[in-house]
Amino acid sequence: MALRLWASSAANALKISSSAARAAPAYSISRYFSTVLDGLKYSSSHEWVKHDGSVATIGITDHAQDSLGELVYVELPTAGTQVSQGEAFGNVESVKATSDVNSPISGEIVEVNAALNEKAVLINESPYGDGWMIKVKPSNPSELDALLDAGKYTKHCEEEHAH
Amino acid sequence: MSGGARRVLEAWKLGLVRYGDALRLQERLVADRRAGRVSDLVLSLQHPPTYTLGKRRTDHNLLLPEVELRGLGAEIHRTERGGDVTFHGPRQAVLYPILSLRTIGLGARRYVEGLESAMIEVAALYGVKARPGAAGETGVWVGDRKIGAIGVRISSGFTCHGLAFNIDPDLGYFKHIVPCGIADKEVTSLRREAAVELPPDEAIHDQLVQSLARTFFFSDVEVKDESECADMVCLSAATQS
Repeated sequence: MALRLWASSAANALKISSSAARAAPAYSISRYFSTVLDGLKYSSSHEWVKHDGSVATIGITDHAQDSLGELVYVELPTAGTQVSQGEAFGNVESVKATSDVNSPISGEIVEVNAALNEKAVLINESPYGDGWMIKVKPSNPSELDALLDAGKYTKHCEEEHAH
Repeated sequence: MSGGARRVLEAWKLGLVRYGDALRLQERLVADRRAGRVSDLVLSLQHPPTYTLGKRRTDHNLLLPEVELRGLGAEIHRTERGGDVTFHGPRQAVLYPILSLRTIGLGARRYVEGLESAMIEVAALYGVKARPGAAGETGVWVGDRKIGAIGVRISSGFTCHGLAFNIDPDLGYFKHIVPCGIADKEVTSLRREAAVELPPDEAIHDQLVQSLARTFFFSDVEVKDESECADMVCLSAATQS
């Protein structure tokens, strides 16, 4: 899967064009860099969806895990629960803060990542891989069209960061 | 921050409020904030003796049975905030900011760091050198003694719950819990740590509010005092089903 790094702030500071960011520099300034994967869809609240046939896998993005800090606890619903687009399906705890996680799509949860009960930090270590949170059978696949692609999500992160 | 834009933080000074009433008020205000009916605000108050547990329900950190804790005159509440068990009581400054983190551009980690730094700043006004907690020990410490606690809930980027800063509460109440789940570390207060005399609590509450406002890039604080807010609290209490 192709990797895209968003780094326009750093690029500006370093006076290099951001299209050159594909040939990633050897160093990274973590405050400005966050991994965004092509091929996934994203919500503006920093969740990702990977749609594979009849099942969609959902988690939170690299940007989200970084801004949360080290996770110590994850609360997930049980399989069989219905979720709605934009509504919370669970929450995570880091630095004494409980933060809701919203579902980018509607449907029925078919599987939750039980490994997170033992090791919440998996989400920080591998937000797009082992740190996946739930798998959903989408009830309305057209909802995916309304989500952001990697480019638009990258731009969204940059705009949020520009405060 | 963007130049020139005036960002006002409303400060609601509520006096002594029961925990349940404050919780219901916060729920209403988060809904109001989400709908844009109110702007960013912070509740500034104290609680009667109250033990609270966070979302993880770490009941094992209550060292006495609940009936005995109630016998001491304390209420017990289980909440949806992050963090472990703690105690709130008179002479402890409690601040509940209801903010839109997305508007400010902060995530949970930086928000909590901001809460820590506000308490550290105020402690410094009294010559007390406090520090943020190490990893896994969120809060504000003077040496190995905890002076300020944090427990927050964030829902679609809107905050509730917040911080508790010990001015001079009865620290004996902390003996009946493992505070914040961290055994063998003491709890302390500004009164214990400061060599100087302290002003009335209200001044310290105000300083915490001002420090929060600065930390989160507000340009002004607008104060609503008890008389204006009292209706709000009663309304929330009355509408409890």
